[in-house]
This record gives sequence, C-alpha cells and structure tokens, in this order.
Amino acid sequence: MKNLIPKTYAEALEMLNNDNLRILAGGTDLMIQNRSWSNMLPDFKTGTILIFNLEELKYMVQEEHFLHIGSGMTLEDIKDNELTPKLLVDALKIMASPAIRNMATIGGNIGNASPAGDSLPVLYVLNALVVLESVEAMRDVPIHDFIIGPGKKTIKQNEIIKEIKIPTNNLTIVKFDKIGGRKADAISKISFAGAAHVKNNIIQDFRVAFGAVGPTVVRKYDLESHLVGLTLDDVSLNIKEILSEYGKYIRPIDDQRSNKEYRKEVALNLLESFILSL
Amino acid sequence: MKDISKSVRKVDSLIKMSGEAKYVSDIKIDGMLYAKTVRSSKSKAIIKKITLPVIPEGYHIIDHTDIPGKNFVKIIFEDMPVFAEKTVSYYGEPIMLVIGEDKNIITDIISNIEIEYEEVTPLFENTNSAINYHFTKGDSNKAFKNAKKIIKDDYDTGYQEQLYIEPQGMIGYIEGEKVTLIGSIQCPYYVKNAVISILEAEEDQVRVKQAVVGGAFGGKEEFPSLMACQLAVALRKIKKPIKLIYEREEDMEVTTKRHPAWIHMEAAINDKNEIDGLTAKVAIDGGAYIGLSGVVLSRALIASTGAYTIDNIEVGGDVFLTNTVPNGAFRGFGAPQMLFAVEMFIQHIALELELDPLELRLKYLAKQGDATSTRGKFRDPIIMNDMINKGMEMSDYKNKVKKYTEQGIYKGIGMSWFLHGCGFTGSGEANHIKALVKLQKDIDDKVTILIAAVDMGQGVQTTMKKIVAQILDIPLDQVIYNKPDTDLVPDSGPTVASRTIMVVGGLVARATKQLKEKWVDGEAIIVSERYKQPEYIKWDEDNFIGDAYPAYSWGVNIVEVEVSPITYQVSLVGIWSVYDVGKAIDERIIMGQADGGILQGVGYGYLEVMKNVNGKIQHKNVTDYIIPTTGDTAPMETFLMDNPYPLGPYGAKGAGELTLVGGAPAVALAIENAINKKVKSIPVTPEYIMELMKNG
Repeated sequence: MKNLIPKTYAEALEMLNNDNLRILAGGTDLMIQNRSWSNMLPDFKTGTILIFNLEELKYMVQEEHFLHIGSGMTLEDIKDNELTPKLLVDALKIMASPAIRNMATIGGNIGNASPAGDSLPVLYVLNALVVLESVEAMRDVPIHDFIIGPGKKTIKQNEIIKEIKIPTNNLTIVKFDKIGGRKADAISKISFAGAAHVKNNIIQDFRVAFGAVGPTVVRKYDLESHLVGLTLDDVSLNIKEILSEYGKYIRPIDDQRSNKEYRKEVALNLLESFILSL
Repeated sequence: MKDISKSVRKVDSLIKMSGEAKYVSDIKIDGMLYAKTVRSSKSKAIIKKITLPVIPEGYHIIDHTDIPGKNFVKIIFEDMPVFAEKTVSYYGEPIMLVIGEDKNIITDIISNIEIEYEEVTPLFENTNSAINYHFTKGDSNKAFKNAKKIIKDDYDTGYQEQLYIEPQGMIGYIEGEKVTLIGSIQCPYYVKNAVISILEAEEDQVRVKQAVVGGAFGGKEEFPSLMACQLAVALRKIKKPIKLIYEREEDMEVTTKRHPAWIHMEAAINDKNEIDGLTAKVAIDGGAYIGLSGVVLSRALIASTGAYTIDNIEVGGDVFLTNTVPNGAFRGFGAPQMLFAVEMFIQHIALELELDPLELRLKYLAKQGDATSTRGKFRDPIIMNDMINKGMEMSDYKNKVKKYTEQGIYKGIGMSWFLHGCGFTGSGEANHIKALVKLQKDIDDKVTILIAAVDMGQGVQTTMKKIVAQILDIPLDQVIYNKPDTDLVPDSGPTVASRTIMVVGGLVARATKQLKEKWVDGEAIIVSERYKQPEYIKWDEDNFIGDAYPAYSWGVNIVEVEVSPITYQVSLVGIWSVYDVGKAIDERIIMGQADGGILQGVGYGYLEVMKNVNGKIQHKNVTDYIIPTTGDTAPMETFLMDNPYPLGPYGAKGAGELTLVGGAPAVALAIENAINKKVKSIPVTPEYIMELMKNG
C-alpha cells in the first residue's frame, strides 16, 4: 500500500493519476475515522497521499468576480484572513477547537462531506464553487452538486479539490448559528447560515441553508425566490407559511447527539429569528 | 506558627507540567507483551462454542480456565467473574485476553476468533432486585394518615461517566512466584486482595504499586481489580511482563459509571402547611453485577432528607440488576442522585403549597443536635445559616430570583443546600478498613509517610506532607511521601469517600505527634496509628439506625443561567459556592477541588448525556459524551468557612465529593426558574427544555 508525500502540486496530480489514493490534508477527520489501537499506524483501507504541506494550495486571492481560497488553507488561517467573508468567519470562529482549526483545512471539510460540516451551510449560501483538478482538466462544480450524500461527492479518483471560489455578492445581512452539545469543540446538532440583502424595505436577495438536518445541507432555491421582491412586512405576515414550507424539507434524524423533534423545531426557530431580524 | 491553609506549590505540579511524570502507559519493561480483551458482543447469551485461529508461537489466550482460584473479582459479593465462563451478562463483558508482542498480530488473532452465542432475552427494566434496603425514623405512617395533603413527584437521573484524562491501565511482571502490578488505581489494597483471591496466593506473593494517576473520580476504585486479576492470571501462566491499557472507547463502554436512578418522593402536609412526613423510594440500575451498588444505594438513602431535618420518614430502595455495563463508584457515590431529588422536591412542595421556597427550606434546615435521617445526631456545629447568607450576598440571589420569577426573561438562578457524610458509610471504617498508618524517621531525620493513599490529582501528596511538616515544624522537603507500594506501606484504606484527609490525615497527624514526642536527632524511629472509632459513634448496619458518618461537610451552591427561547440551550452566567470543609489544609488545593467539583456536578445536571440502547452505550467517546469546556464555564466564586472538626487534622473534614454533589440541583433549579416549568430529570438538555416549554 502506498503512502505518498508529494513535494509539489503537479507531483500530487501525477500520483493521484497513477494510484488509487486517499487524499489526506490535516487529518482531523480521516485520522479519527481510520484510527486503530494506540501506538499503531492508522488503518487506512487504501494508500494515502498527504497534501498538507503543499504551499501551492495555501492561498487566498480576491479577483474581480471571485474570492479564491486554496484548499490547503487551514480553518484558523482563513478565519484570520481579512479577505474572508464575515459569514464564513462567524462559522469558523466557533468550529471545533483551536488545535483542530490549526490542522483542519477547508478542502478537507468539504471533502469529508459530513452533514454536520460547519463550513458547508455557509459555502452553500455563498454559492461557492468547488474547483476540481486532475492531470487532464480543471472544472468548477457548485457545492450543492459536489456533495451528494454523507461522505459522498462527485469527485473522480484522479481529481483533487484545488480551491473554493466564492462569487462576489452584495449580501448585507449575514447570520451563522451553530447548535452543538456545548459552546466549543462540538459536532453540530443543527447549523444555520442565513444571508440577505434588503433595500428600501424590499428583499433583494435571500438565502438560507441548514446543516445536520438531512443527509446533505438543505438549501431551497425555489422557496428563496418566492421571498425575493416581497416587503419585510409581507414576509413577517406570512412567516407561519414560510416556516411550514421549509418544514417540509427539514427531515432530521435521531442520533446520539439529539433527536429529530428538537432539530426540526430549532432549525425553524432559527429561520424565524433570522427572517424577523431582517 | 503559620496557618496551614496557606497554599504551597503542589509537590507534583512540575513533573506533571514538564511531562516527566510516568503514567502506566509510559512504563516499558524489557520483553513486555501487550494484552487486549476479547469481549461479549451480546447483552445476554450462552456461549456455545469458541473457535480459535491457529495461535502463533509467543502468543497466548488467557481465559477462565487459567484461573487458579475462584472465578470472581473480590469486591463485596462473589458475583462478577474475572472472565466469563458459560454465559455473558452484558455487552462488552470480558471473555479472554489475547497476549503477545506485536499489536498487529494480536489484532489479527482477535479478528479471527469466532464465538457462537445462543442469545437469551436481556433484561433492561428495573425488575430484578438484588439488594433492598428500608428504614424509618419517627412515624411516617401516622403523618401520612393524618395528612391534609399528600404531594408526590418522580425524579430521575442519568448515567455519568468519570472521564478521567488517563484511561484505565495496568502493567505487571513476575519474579518467581511473586506477581507485581503497577496501575492507575485508587485503592492499592483492594487490588492486592482481589489478586490474592484470584491466584489463591500468599500475602507476600502479590505486590501492587501505584503509577502516577491521571484522574480517577471513583472510576479507579473497584474497576482496576478486574484488570489486575486478569493480568495476574496471565502473568502466572506466561511469566513475562504484560501491559493492559484500555482505549478511550473501550474504557467508556465497559467501565463503571454513575448509577442511573429513579426516585419517587412523597410528602405528608399537615393542616398547618408543614411537612410532617416524607417518603422516598429509590431504584438504581446496578448493571449486570452488584459490585459496590449496595453501598451506593445506602449513601443515596441516607441522603434522603438532604440538608433538612424531617421528623417522620420512611426510605427504601433497590439495586436492580440489568444486562448492562456494571455501574460503580463515582465522586458523590449515590448522594448526587438523591440530593437532586430532594432539592427539587422541596422546591416543588413550596410551589404546590404556594409558600416562599426559601422560607420553607429554612424552616427545615438541619441544626446542631438534630437527629439525622438514620436517628443519629448532628454533633458538630452546623453553620449553614451563615453560609446561605454569604452565598446569597455574593450572588445577589434574593433580588435575582425575585426579578427572574416575575419577569419571565429566560434568566434563572438556583440555589442548592447539601451535606456530605465524610468517610465510609456506617461502620465501614471500624469493621472493614481498620486503617493503619506509619511514619518512619531515618537517621538523616527525614520522615517518610507510609500510607496507601493515592494522589490522583486531588493533591494528597502535598497535603499529607504539609500536615507532617507543620506538626514537626520542619521544611516540607524533609518529609517524603512516595507513591504507595503494598510491600512498603500498611493498609490505610482506599482513597475514596472523602476519607483521606479526615481519616487517614487524622491518623497521620496523631502519628506525627507521637513521633514529635519520641524525636531524637539522628535516630531511626518508626511510629504507627490505627483507626479507632469514637466511642459515641454507634451504627446498626441491618436497620440503618445511628450515626451513618462520623462528621459531615456542608455546602451551598448557587448557579445563574440564561436559557435561549430559540435554541433552548443553557448558558451558565455565574457560579457561587460556600463550603464548610472544617479547615482547608491547602487553600489552593481546596479551590481546585471546588472549581472542578462544581463543574462536574453542574455538567451532570445540564450537559452530560450518556445512554445505553439495548445495553450498548451510545456516548462512548469524548466527541459524543459532552462535558463542559472552558467555553461553557462561568465565573466562579468560592468562599471557605472555618469550622474545625475536632478529630480531623487541624480540623479538616472531607472535601473531594462535597464540591460535586450540589451542582446538579443548583443548575436544575436555575433552569426551572428561567423557564417556569418543573424540572424532574437530569441532565436538563435543550431537548428536554423544549419538551417542558412546549408541553410541560
């Protein structure tokens, strides 16, 4: 079994093209998922390729239409970067613990594709594109098409997440809520990202996404479009109806962290509170 | 002479901070083998057949057939086997050890062991009572017969996991017939006696040494005896050093936890709106084997009136056996469950009678000279009135409780009053432990403390040395206190039950005074002291009559919270505590106990969820089992009272458990105040709060 450490990004693409390798960045998910008896090597079922040290994947650049975030950026570095949108900073600030944030990468959080991944609802709301590259080609995939189920994503064996592209926007109101078992170092029971732009009391843009209430992040584009163009008063008057529409798509499960009744109720409470705060 | 309470640097802080401290896992012995436990994958079953793969040379299977003695872990009853034989009674029950040099090969062997089970319907309900206790004081029948009103409520409490930082572990080696075990343990002599029993060995063929212990909280009281017995059996057969360290998940799944409890309370209210009688019926889930559950139940029952005096009571309870992981010792030992129920119940009685809860509680607050729940006597001064006033002043309790009750702003404040009986329940010290301590002065005038008390982080290495140094008026570094080794120290009893400073420290102080009298420079002198129960302490073990404890420590906890009406999450706002531990031997150490204890108690009350589903623990790692982080903690203020206990060293009483037992009711009462709904179950999770706010 091969466990490889490329020196350059180009070399990494070559290695991925030649062998079936699991991409390992900060390892904060994979080292846990593949743990074995203490003092033994982790029990990976396939070979691995460690990309954590590739400086070429650690960058943030603002261009005209997009903010580019290299997939090797750690959560801590993104959190502290002045280019990072406030909504993403708000999410990263309360993710995990400092030790984990200094190892975990944004590419890894996306690649892990956990329904409870805290950066995900934010990236959904920001219409983030995942840039995938292989020796053959490079392509952009919207995040909601990239993640198709818990741990499942549309990435080819020889592809790597190169970067995340966040389109520029004029969202003026943003809100992130993480409901974990405690205030830090917790996996979300529910997470919520909301963003909007309101001008002259009329909703110009409205986006919300929920984490940990279904197999993937829940964002309903059609429901959002119904709200655009409405006045804030209209929205407040129809709040019950809006919540009930969203309620149809929020279908959480019971697990060791919480139960479905709580998840659904609180998800809708957060939505209500966000809408009424506009 | 300086005040003994003045803090000194903890003697073990440097080795722990530098990483120099050697925990079991750090100990390596040449030729050492590793052991891993093969466990039951069924909650209840008959083992039909075990098929082993070909075992390579140098690898070993150790099971019940290798046991020289009788197959049980010597704790109290002969009920828990060291290795399962024909049947298994809980998921995770040990069946055998696989031992060898290479962990990969051990893992491989284990994955190729086939165990055929015939499943039997497991029991998860409280129907199989293994122990039943019952006692009365006064005439509760009459009180209930004449009652104008009877108030009833049911309370329940969940599991709590000790979550010591260092998982369970032990290493052993053999020299001739002599087995030596080094472990992360609280009770060297419990381990020694269990090993003597399983090996049918002689006293001098078993030696138990304490490694540096990374936390215990009761979890290393009786459980390590099981691991020690397994290792000892293996050592006798294989004759090479062997190490057995649990992984975190294994530890959380199969080691003892705090007993879940169900408590039914009834109060007889007379025509003057007084509590004339009280009954409590308690059920605790012992898990698959009794272990210490009976003793846990006793402490719970004795705490049935908490810090109050009620004249007519009837108390009873059962230890139920279920096909789940055995529960056992945990800081507080039955009291946290009962004190939660008592504190909530008296509040609920006041609400029901439309009385001011504070006034009602003050009316029944225990006073010096009152009869205890078991018809013993509170002999020493009780200064709870001062403590309550101090606590209310520190926290601005009266104003806040009024404001929060009236305004309904999802803020709340709760106050718990409690006591903790110091030392073993009943006649344990006198009849079972009979603690012996020794001091040895060498010709260089250094004094070695020879006791079996373990420093598991609570600071006993520092406090014992302080006691001796202070009495002899010598520098601290002239006193030596090494980690206990049963070949060197007498049996001063286990490091449990808040007994170490009060009982063992008291004996050490007496021995030191003896040494001081006999002191001759440059001469070797050995002195010893054995525990003698004060004449006035009488205890009828069968009927629960008399003084259940020689002394009591007292406390007041106040917790302030905010509850989010959107997410139902609780935020701690402030924590205030006042304690009477007699006299602090080291103020900073007591403050450490205070901060850690209350957080563990409050966590138990609102955060720490552990459940089993069909006998399997669902919260078996530190990701899923949520304990408070610094982010969850609120500012804490603690005030220590001086109320010296005549028989404790410098007046010290028990402190370790006291700081935990009041946390849960304080936070639960605060949440109740914030949401204006009766809380009857802990932990008070957001899920439960939502249910209460919507339906409750």
